Amino acid sequence: MAAPTSTLPPAPVAAPPPPPVHRRRRHRVIPWVFAGPAAVLFIVFFAYPLGASLLQSFTAERDGASVWVGFDQYRRMASDPAFLESLFNVGLILLVQVPLMVVLALLLAGLLNQSWLRFKGTWRALYFLPAVTTLVAYAVVFQVLLKTDGGLANQFLAVFGLGPIDWLNDPAWARISLIASLTWRWAGYNAVILLAGLQAIGKEQYEAAALDGAGTFATYRRIIVPQLRPVILFCAVTSTIGTLQLFDENYVLTRGGPDNATLSPVVYLYKTGFEQLDFGYAAAIAWVVVALIAVLSIAQYFLFGREKRR
Amino acid sequence: MSTRPGRRAVLATGLAAGATAALAGCATGGTGTKGGPAPEVKKDDGKKLSGSITVWSWDVAAKALKRLAADFQQKNPGTTVTVRDIGYDSAYDKITVGLKSGSGLPDVLTVEGPRMVTYMGNFPQGFYDLTKLAGPSEKDFDKASWKTVVNPQGKVVALPWDIGPCATFYRGDYFRAAGIKPESIATWDDYVKAGEQLKKRTGRKMLILDSVEDSTFAMLLQQQGQHFYVDGKVAVDSPEGVKAATLLKTLADKGLVDYQKGWDGLVTGTKEGKAATESSAAWWMGTLTADAPELKGKFGVMPMPAFTAGGVRTSNRGGSVLAVPGQSKHPELAYAFVQFLLTSAPNQVSMLKQEGLFPAYLPALADPYLSSPQEYFGGQAALKVFADLAPSTPPVEYTKDGAKATEIMFSTISGILLRDKDPKQALESAAAQIAAATGRQRIAG
Repeated sequence: MAAPTSTLPPAPVAAPPPPPVHRRRRHRVIPWVFAGPAAVLFIVFFAYPLGASLLQSFTAERDGASVWVGFDQYRRMASDPAFLESLFNVGLILLVQVPLMVVLALLLAGLLNQSWLRFKGTWRALYFLPAVTTLVAYAVVFQVLLKTDGGLANQFLAVFGLGPIDWLNDPAWARISLIASLTWRWAGYNAVILLAGLQAIGKEQYEAAALDGAGTFATYRRIIVPQLRPVILFCAVTSTIGTLQLFDENYVLTRGGPDNATLSPVVYLYKTGFEQLDFGYAAAIAWVVVALIAVLSIAQYFLFGREKRR
Repeated sequence: MSTRPGRRAVLATGLAAGATAALAGCATGGTGTKGGPAPEVKKDDGKKLSGSITVWSWDVAAKALKRLAADFQQKNPGTTVTVRDIGYDSAYDKITVGLKSGSGLPDVLTVEGPRMVTYMGNFPQGFYDLTKLAGPSEKDFDKASWKTVVNPQGKVVALPWDIGPCATFYRGDYFRAAGIKPESIATWDDYVKAGEQLKKRTGRKMLILDSVEDSTFAMLLQQQGQHFYVDGKVAVDSPEGVKAATLLKTLADKGLVDYQKGWDGLVTGTKEGKAATESSAAWWMGTLTADAPELKGKFGVMPMPAFTAGGVRTSNRGGSVLAVPGQSKHPELAYAFVQFLLTSAPNQVSMLKQEGLFPAYLPALADPYLSSPQEYFGGQAALKVFADLAPSTPPVEYTKDGAKATEIMFSTISGILLRDKDPKQALESAAAQIAAATGRQRIAG
């Protein structure tokens, strides 16, 4: 709150100043009038459900009533093969897909930043497009692409006498398909963010590097990547959060199957809550996902962010 | 990828709404969230019906309701029935949130039979008790589907609408090309042999399975007289379960299975002629005639192969009920509409004719329409096959934990078919998982 008197116009000398108590009270009320609606919305639609879902994670449904079960739901997760497999799946994506995608995005951003490139805006838009595509279009495209009989991917392989591969019906290939589709959807998005970072690097730094005899690789390693560190951190953290919250892609492509090969914790949460009516367990899964996101984001911040402070 | 709003955000909101409701339920005792018996619809014969009700349904079912709602309004001046097609994909999300929060539901709900059991077990107060009104009709309904409308307290909370008696649809042209006579397939062993012959002579597969969420296992289990639970205990690893899973694995190992994903995959795979047979419910006829008119004259229908010679040759797939949620402000009118639709042979037959919904109401099955030859099936009286089989459908036990078992069984069956897991071991592990998730005991496998 700003100091109350300094912002007011000086009072006319003749008029007696209003009683200070009353004035102070009025100034305490006005900010609340403005902030109030937002605060109410926040409490009703965010803080309260958040607290309620935490409470719910300690309950179980018994014949239509909620019963307090303490940490039972959390204990159940530790020995639930489907939940553990969903963690394994996102772990795999974090280790394979996220680094792959960030490197690819970095290369794309480098290309898009070249001075000789024409139609830059068009290219940027094209690469960004998958990220804003609606889920339905995305699903249709990949179904057509990955169809076992007559799908584009298999037609392409057939040219070389390979395949057909049962992309979405085989557990191992379903994982590969998911990783490929995630990369398609989000690499361009990250590239555009990295590009913004690249463009913030001054021309003189490249010139200085060139004068010092640095080649392309050295320029990348010593100038570009260190300067981009905060942007790369941003991409890595948001991608990690996105991966842990993975829902859309694997839900529309494979519904988490076959045999849970592409199941993610959030799809599992959805199935547990909405298909099996096991709300307490679903809430507990949600909170474990929240905890994982917090831990991984902090870890990444310290791993990537430290060098910057030197 | 990145953080973004989308379906997840919507779901999170939904879950939050559920949580909110749970708390509200604790505090105020809203309907649907606390225990206790269901409210009862008061019957008042002298009163003239009036007011307006809303009905939720989807696809052809909604079409049927809209058509007959007009008749109902005409017969009962002063009433309004609004039918809303809420779409199958989001139907259960909406119903679940409505039941959980105790508000937002219409006066009449369409629910599939096994789902209804899950709902009425988890929300004892969620639906009106119709026992006094609907009870006397019990003898007129298919006994397997009647089991899906009686709650654990023994109260009738819905009326059965349609059922899914099963038979085997086959491509006559493929069978002829491979020299297979449909009459020669009496058991699943015969079926496997026929499949091998078909594959050798035509290179075609025998059936289509869903790689992710296949429900053939449940159908084969019901054919043998059980479902996922027996006497309240987990029974997926019973000898019957092992038989069903082994049959599926045999078919897969012999290369007789074409994998497709989901409903659309099944329909397009069938249109493209990927497989020679499909064991499915009577409603599959409606899909064939509507979505594959070009295959007219190519299909025949025969009873399903039995597990042992002379055994049961049918099962059940799908089927739905109409219920009056406890939140309805006009339960009398809602029930009157349900009764008008479902306990009338002419109305049930009209829904079979026009929307392909196979009636659970037995008097409707005597209608001459059921024995009339059908052009699509080359003049075969295909509906008659289902009508004759329907009474021998084994009634099975559904429980409120059906959805949990279904989910775990989907991945178990995928594992057996696609990851080459041993059926017996995989089913035992599934039984252990279901027992852990539901707190139920297992029958000795």
